[in-house]
Amino acid sequence: MTRLGTACGALAAWASLAGVGAHAATHDRLFVYGFDPAPDAPATANEAARFLTQATFGPTSADIARLTALGYDAWLEEQLGKPATLSAPAVEQVVNARTAAAQSVSQSQRIQRWYWQAAYAPDQLRQRMAWALSQIFVVSDQNSSIGNYIVPMAGYYDMLAKDAFASYRTLLGDVTWHPMMGRYLSSFRNQKPSATTSPDENYAREVMQLFSIGLILRDMDFTPILSNGVEIPTYDQTTITHTAKVFTGFTWSDAPLNPPNFNGGGLTFAAQYAPMQCFGTEHFPASGSGSNNMRHDITGDDGTTATPKTVVGGMTIPPNQTCAQDVGDELDILAAHPNVPPFISRQLIQRFVTSNPSPQYIERVATVFDAPGANLGDVVKAILMDDEARHPPALASGDRYGKLREPILRLTAVWRAFNAQAQPADAYGEVKMTAGSTQTSAFGQGPLQSPTVFNFYEPDYQQPGPFADNDRYSPELQILSEASAYSTANAYYNFTAKAYQGMSNPPTDRPLLDLSPLTANATNPAAMVATIDRSLLYGTMSAGMKATLTSMLTNLNGASAAEKAWSAVYLTILSPEFAAQR
Amino acid sequence: MSHSRTSRREFLRALAIAACSGGTAALFPQLRMMGSALANTSSLPGYKALVCVYLAGGNDSWNMLVPFDDARHAVYAEARGGVYNAQSNADGLALGIPTGANVALQKIIDAADASSATNQYFVHPRMADLGALYRANKLAFVANVGTLVKPIVKADYAIAANRPPQLYSHSDQENLWHQGNSLRNSVIGWGGRCGDVVRSSNANQDLSACISISGANRFEIGLSTVPYRMSSNGLSSLSGACNPTPCNGVSATSVRDNALNALLADTYASDFAGEYSRVFARSRDLYNLLKTGLDGTTIVQAFPANNSLASQLLMVAKMIKLSKAQNYASRQIYYVRLGGFDLHSGLMSGGNNDHAALLKLVSDAVSAFWQALAPGDVDAQNEVTLFTASEFARTLQSNGSGSDHAWGGVQFVLGGAVSGGRLYTNGGGPISGFPDQRLDAPNNFSRGQMIPGIGVDQYAATLAQWLGVTSPSDLAAIFPNLANFGSANLGFV
Repeated sequence: MTRLGTACGALAAWASLAGVGAHAATHDRLFVYGFDPAPDAPATANEAARFLTQATFGPTSADIARLTALGYDAWLEEQLGKPATLSAPAVEQVVNARTAAAQSVSQSQRIQRWYWQAAYAPDQLRQRMAWALSQIFVVSDQNSSIGNYIVPMAGYYDMLAKDAFASYRTLLGDVTWHPMMGRYLSSFRNQKPSATTSPDENYAREVMQLFSIGLILRDMDFTPILSNGVEIPTYDQTTITHTAKVFTGFTWSDAPLNPPNFNGGGLTFAAQYAPMQCFGTEHFPASGSGSNNMRHDITGDDGTTATPKTVVGGMTIPPNQTCAQDVGDELDILAAHPNVPPFISRQLIQRFVTSNPSPQYIERVATVFDAPGANLGDVVKAILMDDEARHPPALASGDRYGKLREPILRLTAVWRAFNAQAQPADAYGEVKMTAGSTQTSAFGQGPLQSPTVFNFYEPDYQQPGPFADNDRYSPELQILSEASAYSTANAYYNFTAKAYQGMSNPPTDRPLLDLSPLTANATNPAAMVATIDRSLLYGTMSAGMKATLTSMLTNLNGASAAEKAWSAVYLTILSPEFAAQR
Repeated sequence: MSHSRTSRREFLRALAIAACSGGTAALFPQLRMMGSALANTSSLPGYKALVCVYLAGGNDSWNMLVPFDDARHAVYAEARGGVYNAQSNADGLALGIPTGANVALQKIIDAADASSATNQYFVHPRMADLGALYRANKLAFVANVGTLVKPIVKADYAIAANRPPQLYSHSDQENLWHQGNSLRNSVIGWGGRCGDVVRSSNANQDLSACISISGANRFEIGLSTVPYRMSSNGLSSLSGACNPTPCNGVSATSVRDNALNALLADTYASDFAGEYSRVFARSRDLYNLLKTGLDGTTIVQAFPANNSLASQLLMVAKMIKLSKAQNYASRQIYYVRLGGFDLHSGLMSGGNNDHAALLKLVSDAVSAFWQALAPGDVDAQNEVTLFTASEFARTLQSNGSGSDHAWGGVQFVLGGAVSGGRLYTNGGGPISGFPDQRLDAPNNFSRGQMIPGIGVDQYAATLAQWLGVTSPSDLAAIFPNLANFGSANLGFV
């Protein structure tokens, strides 16, 4: 079972993707500098751990060592070259095995796999980027339109992972044509106008509001552009009505053409995650015998008059085009819109580094985004290597740098810091990760489980108090409440106090922590605290917190070494200092 | 390095004091900021609670209340009649006029309408319980409410300053509904600002006047009020720690508990860490305050199962009962929420998640809540006013399978204090009455997006005044656009 990618496995994977074959095998990046640290290596293990906290699902000692040996640039290039670890094949296998054995299947199968990838996939940066993208290009199993599509939703996530470092335009196209997005935002089976109906406006609106340009015109540094002191909307309702016509005619990839059945298809998992097809002029003429089956709007308002679609920015899409041409034109127009670089860059910065990037930081990243030929790999690299990411301001009262860690990322960080051992696969090939179905629902977030297309939290959420008073943002605080503070803590308890190697009757439905780095020092509280500080807080633990934990461990003098160890981990995962990531 | 038993006890006691008294003020921003609150109404008599039922996603409320008379129903049916899949929705989005025994269950009239012989309505077939409450004069409908800067007619729309920003956008319109005005987005909501005004009447200042059973929301955030956010499951204990905190003795649990409280009591330079610790500490304090009483509070009325809104309203009923029994508060504002209304497709699918199914969840939950408020149970029917809100209603015109984002719509208000059995349609502006449902009529746009005749500001201000926010200066501060409207009180409660 893969734990963490070995250098050799990672290299082979990178080499195969890059098509350079055996030649590269003798040139492991590790040896570029002989056995000396790379010139751009993090100065300390703590610095490395801080970077890996931003770039992965949590630092491991192996990743710290590799980053230190390679340096930032080579480590990033290595990660950018790693192929995507995929969900759908694994989930499909489990679903088929369970179904064959008359066992129930649910989204739990997809979610178990997601947590496994977060903890163990070697392509950590790619997986972390997919996780960030899944919070922008939202689809959710909470919606009944896709709630029963387990394997195809895994396929959607795989698409995000594969496109994680592709061009934005490629990603936008794959998102738009994906049937899970089609069903979620109801472009699926959306139809051209008739005398009494208009096309569904759902995708037309949200692709602009959330996936590309946002509501108002912005400069490259995300500052709103004003006209006479007033913000300028990017589009209006007329734009929406016209754009809605672009996103018509979609159905399953295998919907039959002869005889045509727009409502047919979707017969296999593969067909349910392959890009949608369009019942447009590709298959049926705009007029003549087959035209009744043409569901894409090519001709304008009343279905007969050839009129252009006036879309965002007053651009026009000519009439009488094929579906693919219409969608392609629209997505080209959106992808080229000057709002896209700052709008998407800012949200990605929020996911990786800080809720409140400076305008200059946004502009630097957006400029990379906007460069000819740039892809999202360049963007994430720019985000992580920016001076504002690498050199945080000194901590002083009223600090709003960094972010609240997402509840899920607090858990994965503990798993990875303490080398959590995965359970053996069960009879159906599934590795259980989530301790049943209710623990992780306590977090207020879950993979492809947002309550709405607006994600678990909004990029502009301002917690009342210091954030709102200072007009600063705190997205992740939106899902922290008096209720979720406890439910989340109780889940962590089950993943620490009730989940470590060597305990009696260990559970079989979650990874087991290796607490030996702590229990080895069970009689030395200060040493235990130092280990915690290094493993989870990259050396930033305050003197006050150290004193509190040291005192706790001292006073736990009747407890077992294991209880001291998990108590230290549990208290740290609940601590305000760990909850905040700087 | 071992502490004596005595010194440990002293340590515990010191912590207990920090957590339960001195610490509390630091944990509650509203206590620190009381000086900056609005003119406080020092002593409000009795008990009153507002309950906001938010229908998230944009409720297609033109199918919640429908014209019954043939002439207007024909207009409605034509506007909503678009079909592209006759198998799944033969009548498009239109509901048929009830017949037979259903007439008595669904039909309502506005007793105050001089033309009620011809102006008749029916409630959605799955909301017959609400029809009964209407006929019992406990429930009123308010028709064609929406976000407005000021009353407008169609010709005014073209000028951006005349209309609210970002119409038709979920997030923006929800924010404006929560704010109670159509100014640029702020983080402050009208419920929270009412909390600022009324909460000094509450005997217990640790329990916020604003309580959410559905997480963070803008509605309940005031200048100095932060909502307490509970789960409909009630209060869970904290694993590995003391419940309540602190606990006596030197057990490992107690030692961990002390350490946690010490971490939460520290001050943090990072506001992320600081806010996290404040929220966590608040959950500990309020657990201590409420847990025993809440576990001992029972509601006789049975609430429907598999209905998240019902579960939330059951918790509201319990909290009202407990708050009254313990004299925690004389004024409270609750927030509950049901999602799923963004039905661009499958509006009339007949499935478990279509509009009819959602409206049945609402009707069942609200009806059970009303019964729970009866004498012998919570006993607060005359002290509680429940109202609905939703970011927008939807296009009358079909997209073939559902409806799209629009603007003004229908809401309902329920309570013993409500002047029920009536339909409130007049906000004193140029558009009034139950709206003309012809597509592109003078009061709507080509797809039947209704220009509201009543502003959210008016709807909210009416409710606020009932709660006890009555001074003109407070109303003007909370609802700065209210002066733009013809009426500051719609009179339904």
